[in-house]
Amino acid sequence: MQQLELLKHTDKINELLARYGVKFGIYKNNIFKEQLFPFDSIPRIIEHKEFSHLEKGLKQRVMALNLFLKDIYSKKQIVKDGIVPEDFIFASSGYMAECEGTVPPKGIYSHISGIDLVKGKDDNWYILEDNLRVPSGASYPMIARDLCRRSSPDTFHNYRLEDNRNYADLLRRAMDYVNPGGHTVILTPGRYNAAYFEHSYLAEKTGAHLATGSELIVENDTLYYISSDGTREKVGAVYRRISDEYLDPMNFNPESLIGIPHIYEVFRKGNVALINAPGNGVADDKGIYYFVPKMIRYYLDEEPILCNAPTYLPFYEEDMKYVLSHFDELVLKDVAEAGGYGVVFGNSMTKQQKQDFIDLLQREPRRFIAQEVIDFQDLDILEQGEIVPRKADLRAFVLMAEEPMVWKSGLTRFSRNTDSFIVNSSQGGGFKDTWVLYQ
Amino acid sequence: MGIISVEQADHLFWLGRYTERVYTTLRFYFPRFDSMIDETVDSYQAFCESIDIPNIYSSKEDFLRRYPFDADNPDSIISNLNRAYDNAIVLRESIGSEALSYVQLAIYDMNKASASSSPMIELQYLMDHILSFWGIADDQIDSEQVRNMIKAGKRIERIDLYARLKVSREELVREVCRMIPRVERSGLLYDKSRLNQMKSLVENPDLDYYKIVSNVEAIV
Repeated sequence: MQQLELLKHTDKINELLARYGVKFGIYKNNIFKEQLFPFDSIPRIIEHKEFSHLEKGLKQRVMALNLFLKDIYSKKQIVKDGIVPEDFIFASSGYMAECEGTVPPKGIYSHISGIDLVKGKDDNWYILEDNLRVPSGASYPMIARDLCRRSSPDTFHNYRLEDNRNYADLLRRAMDYVNPGGHTVILTPGRYNAAYFEHSYLAEKTGAHLATGSELIVENDTLYYISSDGTREKVGAVYRRISDEYLDPMNFNPESLIGIPHIYEVFRKGNVALINAPGNGVADDKGIYYFVPKMIRYYLDEEPILCNAPTYLPFYEEDMKYVLSHFDELVLKDVAEAGGYGVVFGNSMTKQQKQDFIDLLQREPRRFIAQEVIDFQDLDILEQGEIVPRKADLRAFVLMAEEPMVWKSGLTRFSRNTDSFIVNSSQGGGFKDTWVLYQ
Repeated sequence: MGIISVEQADHLFWLGRYTERVYTTLRFYFPRFDSMIDETVDSYQAFCESIDIPNIYSSKEDFLRRYPFDADNPDSIISNLNRAYDNAIVLRESIGSEALSYVQLAIYDMNKASASSSPMIELQYLMDHILSFWGIADDQIDSEQVRNMIKAGKRIERIDLYARLKVSREELVREVCRMIPRVERSGLLYDKSRLNQMKSLVENPDLDYYKIVSNVEAIV
């Protein structure tokens, strides 16, 4: 791998990424700044056979999660059958009572699922979390591949890879499949959103309209895009990149200025597809994660193909005992947090911090999960000309149309700090392309 | 792309205006910079007056430094370039990543120029990238309406600046002839009577630059 001709062009590729505005926004002390997302040209390589296994497991998982969402917002059979305790449904911040009884077009809830995995030193892949609300990140390896191919054609001539630049086609297919008629729009909160580059890039590549809430209006249970000459164009699908609570001030958070009043009613009547459907947060809650293998058995009558990281729920007395007696070996996660926040390692706390945390855990056991620290494989990165190992994860993307489609690539994120497990871009991480070998 | 919202139309128009403002002010700043090398009496005050910006500068050196590079000054060239970028960044799906990348490159050029010991050389690259932006806008933006909205902004801004800078009648006549069909084809809401008046204003033997500025500003 160190011999790859591509590696010589790392700086040039990063210059090109800067030229094309491949950035993410970040707020520091209430000031918005755009930062480049550092790219490492050493790819993560996944063999064809290994990826086929991942593909099967990812499809299975996303199918079960979709069935779970359908069940939770209707019969709740999985709760009645005692597989998932109701505390984990109704106390979840992602559960939305407003979504009860609503069935999205074609019955699809999670059209785009971002599943985070790591590869352990035992060569097994472990699922770390499911992202079923607005998972981001596919655009980065997509544009990076384009620029890598431009920089080092020989490398790509010598390696037979799946072409990951088809992500926009998969996305378009997923959006068109549920569109009951009308234009397709990518709804963005605006340029000061952290992932604005991705919103605009995906709009360009899919041919969808990029719109803010003020460009859309609901009239007579129909959603319209208002053109500059005042005409109204019917919208049939909205790939919304704003969170549930801000989507519709009339149905969710009344203080939202970035949403579209009454859009949820249009959705409820089946006149527009919302991608992903509101209310999905109940299924990607870190507490619900524990139950996903059970869901797979329950809904699909199959054994899970991919493993969860060993997880404990302090909510259960037995698990609480285990967590307290193995505290230093575990990583504890606040179920309400995301982006690498709310994650603490038991062995990194002072005596006082540990005591305070245990008190909190005992007061609010539902709020946390505990996981074994997976000894996951490091990936090589180039740092100032030296090759050094760093922790890295993989976000795989599963898109849903007539059937689930796994994008044959993924966003590999790595930590730039030695020994850090936090790979999130908002916390200084970088990214790699993910190569899936063709044969 | 097909349909363009009011917000997008506004961004396209102002993208044209701000890129032109940066380009033309730099074009006039270059010879001014050159003449200031030799001058014994400061002339920057007259330049500020001619383009209707407040003279907030304490000396020639202060002007040469802050007029292009002071991001806190809303009238500086860098501020105008930042506004061009603010409009361009929200238009990726209508102008395309390639066209947008030239505005991004102009921003990098400006930052390099600001930190350079020979800023005029770096600013030349900035000019090159603005010209490239217009070239690619012509070459690669499929939607005629999108192109016309950008160019309507560009042409209006050019006449506005040329009139403030009191260029010759010939130049104004030429620019008005280029501007009128762009505005008519842009799909922007415009004042037809103001547009029609432009020709007679620039052909009038008593050229009234002030009237030209106020008229062109009121077209869109």
